[in-house]
Amino acid sequence: MNKLHRTPVTVLTGFLGAGKTTLMNRVLTEQHGRRIAVIENEFGEIGIDHELVINADEEIFEMNNGCICCTVRGDLIRIMASLMKRRDQFDHILIETTGLADPGPVVQTFFVDDDMKEKLCVNAVVTVVDAKHIWQHIDDADEAREQIAFADVILLNKCDLVATADLDRLEARIKAMNGVAKIYRTTNAEIDIPRILDVGGFNLEHAIGMDPKFLEPEYPFEWGGIFQVPAGTATLVATRNPDPSMKLVLLPVGSGTDDALAQAREQAVRNFSSLEVKAAAPGTVISCDGRLHEMLLGEGAMRWPLHIPEPGCYAAFTEHYPDELGLKMMVAEREVTAVCAAAYKPDHEHDEKVTSVGIEEAADCDGKKLNAWLSALLRDKGTDIFRMKGVFAVRGNPNRTIFQGVHMLLDAQGGGPWGERPRRNSLVFIGRNLDRDQLNASFRECLA
Amino acid sequence: MSGVDTNGKGGRVTMPSASRLLAEAWTVELEDYPLDLRWSVDSRWLAAPPSHGRILVLDREGGVVASLPGHPGGNGGVAWHPQRAALATYGQDARLRVYELPAATPALEIPLEKAWADRVAWNSDGTLLAACAGRTVFIAAAASGAIEHRLSDHKSTVCDIAWNPQRPREIASVCDGGARLWRLGEARPFGHFDWGGASLIVTWSPNGRWVVTGDQTPSVHLYDVGRSHPLHIQGYEHKVKTLAWEGDGAWLGSGGSASITLWPCTGKKGPEGAKPIQLFGHLKEVVALDFVPGSSVLASGGRDGLVLLWMPHRSTDPALIVQRRTEITAARWAPDGGALAIATADGDVTLCLMNPSAAAKP
Repeated sequence: MNKLHRTPVTVLTGFLGAGKTTLMNRVLTEQHGRRIAVIENEFGEIGIDHELVINADEEIFEMNNGCICCTVRGDLIRIMASLMKRRDQFDHILIETTGLADPGPVVQTFFVDDDMKEKLCVNAVVTVVDAKHIWQHIDDADEAREQIAFADVILLNKCDLVATADLDRLEARIKAMNGVAKIYRTTNAEIDIPRILDVGGFNLEHAIGMDPKFLEPEYPFEWGGIFQVPAGTATLVATRNPDPSMKLVLLPVGSGTDDALAQAREQAVRNFSSLEVKAAAPGTVISCDGRLHEMLLGEGAMRWPLHIPEPGCYAAFTEHYPDELGLKMMVAEREVTAVCAAAYKPDHEHDEKVTSVGIEEAADCDGKKLNAWLSALLRDKGTDIFRMKGVFAVRGNPNRTIFQGVHMLLDAQGGGPWGERPRRNSLVFIGRNLDRDQLNASFRECLA
Repeated sequence: MSGVDTNGKGGRVTMPSASRLLAEAWTVELEDYPLDLRWSVDSRWLAAPPSHGRILVLDREGGVVASLPGHPGGNGGVAWHPQRAALATYGQDARLRVYELPAATPALEIPLEKAWADRVAWNSDGTLLAACAGRTVFIAAAASGAIEHRLSDHKSTVCDIAWNPQRPREIASVCDGGARLWRLGEARPFGHFDWGGASLIVTWSPNGRWVVTGDQTPSVHLYDVGRSHPLHIQGYEHKVKTLAWEGDGAWLGSGGSASITLWPCTGKKGPEGAKPIQLFGHLKEVVALDFVPGSSVLASGGRDGLVLLWMPHRSTDPALIVQRRTEITAARWAPDGGALAIATADGDVTLCLMNPSAAAKP
């Protein structure tokens, strides 16, 4: 069977209670004009109109004595083999995993098993995130982090329960983990079905086009905002200490606009790189002159007086999101909220376990070197690389070359001619403990 | 193909073409993808279960003896009683049915636990029926339908089962992890082979010496039951979906690639250190193998749509090539060796009659 005619498979993941079932029910009940077979988690088979619901039991097959990269879902192999033997074929297959499922074996099944590889292809991994409660899991639950890392599409669900600033913070955090996924904000998993079914597989160019931040610079801070305050003394109050300290820059700006914040951001980047850091234990006065301060965090409510030389707008740039510390700006014991704010892609390893690294190079690469590099990289680092996607311009080849990988497994496809598009290499790795500089340097050695 | 006719019992009949060794007698179309073909012990009737829809029992002339209701959720395996015309059918409704043919209403219906359910097998004396449901193998008394044993030491869904042809109370099961050998009445398996991967199919050699599995990782495991000695054969290109025994177990045929590999299973060590016979002729993966009972004439079916006949101890070239329109899903010799039934993915079941004057038995 031609690879172009393989039946698309969407893998639906999400932590417990995130809204997977709500989304799945939408897929089953809305008019989208295609026949979908749904694989659920409990055993049985239910026909719903033109759809088919089959329940699975999430069994893992170990292919090579327990190697994580070679585990596949035995139940899916059985069910898919059965589905492929039906005369009434389906247009699309949707697999719902349990909240605690590791998406790795699900995706790997379609790379490893002969029959699956030939007849089916993973169109997308869609992860539903409970925007209100994900913070309880994102630091501690490997499953939640891996579900985000594996995703091509992420639904930030239950957005009606979360303030916009918190959603911005969550989205920035998720982007730091997975810079490729398309993120949608939803309530009750309401979304146009084609947005999750017509993803088109690992479409890296699409991902980059849809997410201009993907390859944007990283910043030494996660958050910036402008406060309008009177002259005199204001106070920064923090109530939590997730880290022993947090760096901060405060500087005057001309207005409370996004443009002003963007201009101040460049100044703040330079100041954050300063070697002169002023330690500020609670009670220490912090100046608003652009100097880099390191707030030393302790127990209970901590207060730092701010010296405001004259009334106006002041921009604050913080190493972490203010909410992580319960950080507030207070004037006369009343909270002052930022008149504008932005989240930034941090350069520090806030989540050292799961990050994404994007590489873009305009020059052609050498096909042999590229193959050797990818093979060696996935062999040596495959356990830590959840997913890899790349579109390559290979010297002598008029067509795009597309690679996608899951752990140690790699699949190459022809991507059609470059045509008028500029030839370039775009690739991304999503995984644990990725060394950005090393990946960049080693890829550059593949250039022709 | 010409002369299409409808026989009025759920199948369409197409009239024959001919060849020197095999003469195509008829073709019947099933409602869906043929999962398997199984002959009754007296070679009179052929059971043909499609993946979904009615299970047909056909006679040697292509007539429909019985059109049995399919199992909701999909059909699984079928199995003939070793001594009489009783057919067990099983499927994803986890209801094991036994038909005393030609009656098309079940003489026995045994509900099992709702779980993945597709394999069923009679023991060699026809007193017991085994069926898997999820991680358990259920053993039912064939006379009453009462569940007499539950074999549950499996870490995942049981993929296949096979009775010991020589000992009617011994059965092998395979799952993720490997194989278990059970002796009914004993609480634990008497053979327990966990090799770390998933085994998908299992067969017990007719002489009872070997239990052999085809694995998800492209390989075959052989267990020399008497010596409790496992062998692992690697080098296949695909997971091994078909295995077949020559005679009483002298040679093992295996698929797993476009070539057929025959392993000698005699002598103290069996295939250990031995050179196999390899048969090249298919263009794609071999998915069906069957020896003529009591003979070394082998039929192979491939995903290339070819059925090849081999006499491997005379020549490694195929003796006959039959081309079908779509990939082969099953190929079975009648026990009397006089007919080969072939099923293809488009739903066709074709019977080819052996030309007695041309057929040679080495």
